[in-house]
Amino acid sequence: MYSDLLHALPDVFAWTNFAAVVIGVIAGIVVGAMPGLSATMAISVLVPFTFGLEPLVALGLMAGIYNGAMYGGAIPAVLLRIPGTPAAVATTFDGYPMAQKGEGGFALQVAVVSSSIGGIASAFALMLLAPPLSKVTLLFGPSEVFWVAVFGLASIIFLLGGNPIKGLISACFGVFVSVIGSDPIYGNDRFTFGQLEMLDGINIVILLVGLYALPPVIDLLETPLKTDGVNSSKLGTEPIWKALPRMNYWKTWLRGSFLGIWIGILPGAGGSMAAFMSYNEARRTSKHPETWGEGEPEGVAAAEVANNADTASALIPALTLGIPGTAVAAVMLGGLLVHGLQPGPMLFRDNPDIVFGFMWQFLFGAILLVLLGGSLATNSFARLLNLPRPLLGSVIIVLMLIGVYSIHGRMFDVYLMLGFGAIGWVMDRLKFPLPPVVLGLILGGFAEENLRLALRIGRGDPLVLFQNTTSLILVALTVAVVVGPTLKKRFIDSRKKA
Amino acid sequence: MPESRNSRLARPETLTAVGIIVVAAGFLVPTYDLRAISALLPAAMLIGLIVLSVFLLLADQRKASAGEDAAPMTTSPKRVIGAFLMIVSYALACDFVGFYISTVVTIPLVAWTFGYRSPVGLLIATVIVVGTIWAIFDFGMSQDFPTGRLWGR
Repeated sequence: MYSDLLHALPDVFAWTNFAAVVIGVIAGIVVGAMPGLSATMAISVLVPFTFGLEPLVALGLMAGIYNGAMYGGAIPAVLLRIPGTPAAVATTFDGYPMAQKGEGGFALQVAVVSSSIGGIASAFALMLLAPPLSKVTLLFGPSEVFWVAVFGLASIIFLLGGNPIKGLISACFGVFVSVIGSDPIYGNDRFTFGQLEMLDGINIVILLVGLYALPPVIDLLETPLKTDGVNSSKLGTEPIWKALPRMNYWKTWLRGSFLGIWIGILPGAGGSMAAFMSYNEARRTSKHPETWGEGEPEGVAAAEVANNADTASALIPALTLGIPGTAVAAVMLGGLLVHGLQPGPMLFRDNPDIVFGFMWQFLFGAILLVLLGGSLATNSFARLLNLPRPLLGSVIIVLMLIGVYSIHGRMFDVYLMLGFGAIGWVMDRLKFPLPPVVLGLILGGFAEENLRLALRIGRGDPLVLFQNTTSLILVALTVAVVVGPTLKKRFIDSRKKA
Repeated sequence: MPESRNSRLARPETLTAVGIIVVAAGFLVPTYDLRAISALLPAAMLIGLIVLSVFLLLADQRKASAGEDAAPMTTSPKRVIGAFLMIVSYALACDFVGFYISTVVTIPLVAWTFGYRSPVGLLIATVIVVGTIWAIFDFGMSQDFPTGRLWGR
């Protein structure tokens, strides 16, 4: 089962594949360090540029960006008390007070070492858990695959938190977009309105760039951010090997890694929740909890180890079942599709070198974090905070246009992307979750194809969807995911009243 | 406390729900011409969108009745509209005038308009970005960019 994992290793060491991870980590730290930009946005903008690249080069870039951005978010969190990414909120609690005391450099070193440890643990979890899970899912037929898609959508809608009506609207929108184009079985046009450009359906990259890249650009231009640069000028950084002996947080790192991995596997939870839970647990078990919030380095370690431990583990359900655990994982699924790699059990059977190589790239990305994010580089990355946001916004606009135009070499796709961007901005402001849209687009066509196949096998009888144990288990899980949060809320309310 | 907006119908979520209902109903019309099995999923999604939007609308109006103010979608609407208009204008300019001319104008124009006022910085950034794009995509990867419909190309 794990022999494919070892076979994939030599490919990862090809210089182009390795260089992709290095470039990805650096780019990820840069993106994460810029408040308003995120790994999701960076990967969305990157995906169209990877069309002409070898799959492992493209995936190496994505793995590097994901790992790098999770740490990069700590830089403004520590220096400005502005989390670079949502997952870095808990890092501000102790990171910023440390920076005010002139220990910003040490705070960033704790962050980079903890991030690296979390990322390594997460990559090992992906390597250990994904292969056996993929063996099980290989046994699935059309009806089971249909229910997996329904379960995936239900999980991301109801476990993401927030308003379930908005989540459902997002998912319906995504699934609707997935059916635009020629019918896969009969070939008749659906909602193309005579546009030849839409016969092949909506390319996922157009949707990704529109939804995930345009709203942050508008944010960059909407709110000018003034930085005083005070904390970044007095980092007080010493070489990382000298700082390492001061970091004795093994229990926190171990606990945070487990929490991050577990939360990453759960669809819809994500790095912010992992970081908060890890921070709270570490504080609860600390011998001196009174110092937390006033510049306790262990607080930075707890938050950063957990938000990086959910990176690769979020890909366990994504790669094996096609159900991403986080928004970034959803965008990464889009990146896999661009290279003709359909997430799910067949991925492990048909492309073992690529999928296992991708796992190794996650591991190396996490290890490279310490080398690229340590001491001298940390100082350089901290200066990124002074980059003018309007200039950055204008450059991203150009990159978005090039990326989308280069898919088919036509402006129609650019206009379509702008349309999705406007919809994405409204959804973002009204707090409609975006991951269900992407998942709806990925799983919609997949679900429809398998539903129709199952109905054909059952000669049109819908009961064929409920005729085996696996399908029934998946139906039960879907019901549990839909009803569970409501029951839990009622239980908590009734206990409060009592 | 009464709703502070002039009309309860002008609340962002209400407007969005109404918009979704209208658009989804419009898209439902072509499904009648499709085979039943082809129309199954899109029709289900569109009907789902309509029903869910009705729930969203009712929930938002209930909040309005309770005197709960809707949060504004932006604190600086002029900047947001300006940003959208500039991005759309840039796409149109690429289409009609050509990629390089539009990009050379857009990068400094957007950055200047939204608050970065250093002429030297703008010049350097524009040269670096456009030069890098030309070197990587045009020269290195032979990528074609829009050359401008106005010039008949």
